[in-house]
Amino acid sequence: MTTAFASDPIPARAGIGLRLPHQAQVLAKQPAAAWFEIHPENYMADEAALEELERIRSHYPLSLHAVGLSLGSAQGVDNAHVDRLARLVKVLGPGLVSDHLSWSVTNGQYLPDLLPLPYTEEALAVVGRNVSQVQERLGRQLLVENPSTYLRYAAGKYSEAQFMAALVDRTGCGVLLDINNLFVSACNQRVEPGQVLEAWCQALDPASVGEMHLAGHAIVATSSGAELRIDDHGDYVCAGVWSLYERAVGHFGVLPTLLEWDTRLPEFAVLQGEAAQAQMILNAAEVEAASQRQVGTTVAAARASHAHFA
Amino acid sequence: MHTLPEERSLAALQSSIGAALLAADASGQGLPEALFAGVLPGAEGLSVHRNTVLGALSHALRLSYPTVDRLVGEAFFDRMAVEYSRAHPPVAPQLTVWGAAFSEFIDGFAGTDNLPFLAEVARFDAQFDALGRCAADEGFHGAKVELELDGGSGVSLSFNAHLRVHRSRFDVRALRDAINAEDAAAIDALNYRGAGKDSEAGSLGVEHSYALWRTAAGVMVRELSPVSAQFVRAVLRNETFEHIEANNVAVLQREVLAAGFVRISDTATAAGMA
Repeated sequence: MTTAFASDPIPARAGIGLRLPHQAQVLAKQPAAAWFEIHPENYMADEAALEELERIRSHYPLSLHAVGLSLGSAQGVDNAHVDRLARLVKVLGPGLVSDHLSWSVTNGQYLPDLLPLPYTEEALAVVGRNVSQVQERLGRQLLVENPSTYLRYAAGKYSEAQFMAALVDRTGCGVLLDINNLFVSACNQRVEPGQVLEAWCQALDPASVGEMHLAGHAIVATSSGAELRIDDHGDYVCAGVWSLYERAVGHFGVLPTLLEWDTRLPEFAVLQGEAAQAQMILNAAEVEAASQRQVGTTVAAARASHAHFA
Repeated sequence: MHTLPEERSLAALQSSIGAALLAADASGQGLPEALFAGVLPGAEGLSVHRNTVLGALSHALRLSYPTVDRLVGEAFFDRMAVEYSRAHPPVAPQLTVWGAAFSEFIDGFAGTDNLPFLAEVARFDAQFDALGRCAADEGFHGAKVELELDGGSGVSLSFNAHLRVHRSRFDVRALRDAINAEDAAAIDALNYRGAGKDSEAGSLGVEHSYALWRTAAGVMVRELSPVSAQFVRAVLRNETFEHIEANNVAVLQREVLAAGFVRISDTATAAGMA
C-alpha cells in the first residue's frame, strides 16, 4: 500500500459492485460508473488485487461493504479483523463502510454466510455493543444492512425493522436498506413485500438510511415442494424488486444505490445496464422532488402575495 | 437431534446452529423445530444456510486449487472440499488464505489411488495461489548476493522478492500443463499412475526443483537443475558465497543468471562473464 486517499462522499447515484474478475477491465478502460463497492475481505490478504484497487480508487469513489465483521456474534467482534478493516479504510478513503445485521462466527469458527439473528433484547445488546466497538475503532459511522432470511426464530419481540430502528437509536449507526433482501425475506415468510416495506418506512427515520442495495435472486423448490427465494445475486433485478425500490426511493429519498451481482457474473456492460435502470428511477424521483419543491415555493409565494394584497 | 433446552442464550443458539451446519451426519444437522416460527420448517432454512456455507468454502478451495479441480472434476472436488471444510473450518473471513492443509488432507483420499501425484499437484497449485496474491516485484527487492567467479571477475545479483524454490518427486509442472490442457495422453506419458503415493524420488527418476516468482505478468516458473536449485536455496537462506566452482558456472549462467528472477546489477561485469 503506497497511497492514502481522502474520503470521497458516495454520490446519490447508482453504483456497481466491483468483483475481482472485472477489476482488470475497469482499470484498463475506466468504464462509466458513478462509484464502486467492494468486499474488503477480498483484499485483506491479496496485495496484487489491492494494488489494482488503489489505482481504480484514484478514478472512482469507493464504498467498503464488509461480510466478515459478524456484528451479531455473541462472542463479540474479532479485533484483529476490525484492525484489518481499519487499515483498508485508512488507505482507500471510502465514502461509506457497511456490514450486515447477521452473524457468522461461533466457537472461533467462521461460517461464510449471513446467518440470521433472533430479534430479542439480548441480541440487540450484543449487536449494539459490537457495532459501537467497530464504529469507535474505525472512527466513523457504520451502515448496517438487513439480510435475506430463510428461517424465523420463535424467540423475539421486535420485527426486523423495529430491531434496526432500535439499533440506530442505540449506536448512531446508519442503515443500508437492501431492497432485494427485503423482498426475498418477505416472500419466504409469505408476507406481501409492500407491507414489509411499509413497516420499514414507519419504523425508520429516513435520515438514518444511507444507502440502498439491489440484486437478483433465484427461485427454487424446497424438499417439501415449497417455493423458496434464494439471495444468490446471480440474475437481473426482478420486476417486484424494481417496483419496491421505486416506492422506497419515494419514501427514503434519492440515495446511493448499489447494483450487486456475484454468482454467474456477466459482462461488465450488463451491470452498467442494471445500474442505468436504477439511475432512471433515481432521476425520476429527483425530478419529482424538484417539482414538489417548486410547487411548495409557488404556493408559498402565492400565500405571501395574497398576504401582501390582503 | 440436539437435546439442548429451547430457551437458550444467543451464544448457545449460535453454537448449536454452527455445529448443525457443519455436521456430516443427519442426526447432527437438526435442531428442535420449536426454535423456529417461520412459514417454512426450520430444517429447510438451515439447509439453505448449510448449502451456502459449504458451497462458499468449496468455491474458495476451487480458486486456490484449480488444477486439482480440473484433474478430479467438479463433483469429486466438492466431496473432498466439503470433508476438508468440516475437518478444518476457517477461523477468519479471508478465505483466500484458508485451506493451507488441503494438500495434506487429500493425500490418499479415498478414490484417488490412481492419482499418486494428487497432493503434489495441490502443493504446486498452492504456490501459484500464494504468489498470485503478492504484489509484483519489478524492482528485485529480494536477496542480494556478491559473487566471485572462477576467472576472478565479480558479479552482484539482486533477486525477486517473492522467489521460492519448490521441490517435488513428480514433474508437477508437466503434470500441471497437461491437466490444464486436458491432455490425458500427456498425463499417462509421464507414467506416474502406478507409482504409488509413497514412492521415493529415486523410483520415479530425479527429484524436480522449480523456481517460482512473481512479476507484473503473473507467476513465473522455471525448472532448475540440482546445482542451480541448491544455489538458489542457499541465496534464499542468505548464505554467502566466496567462490563458485568452474564446472558450475556455466549451469548457473544458463539457469540462474539468465532467469527473470534475478537482475545483474553490475552490467559491465556481467558482460565480462558471458
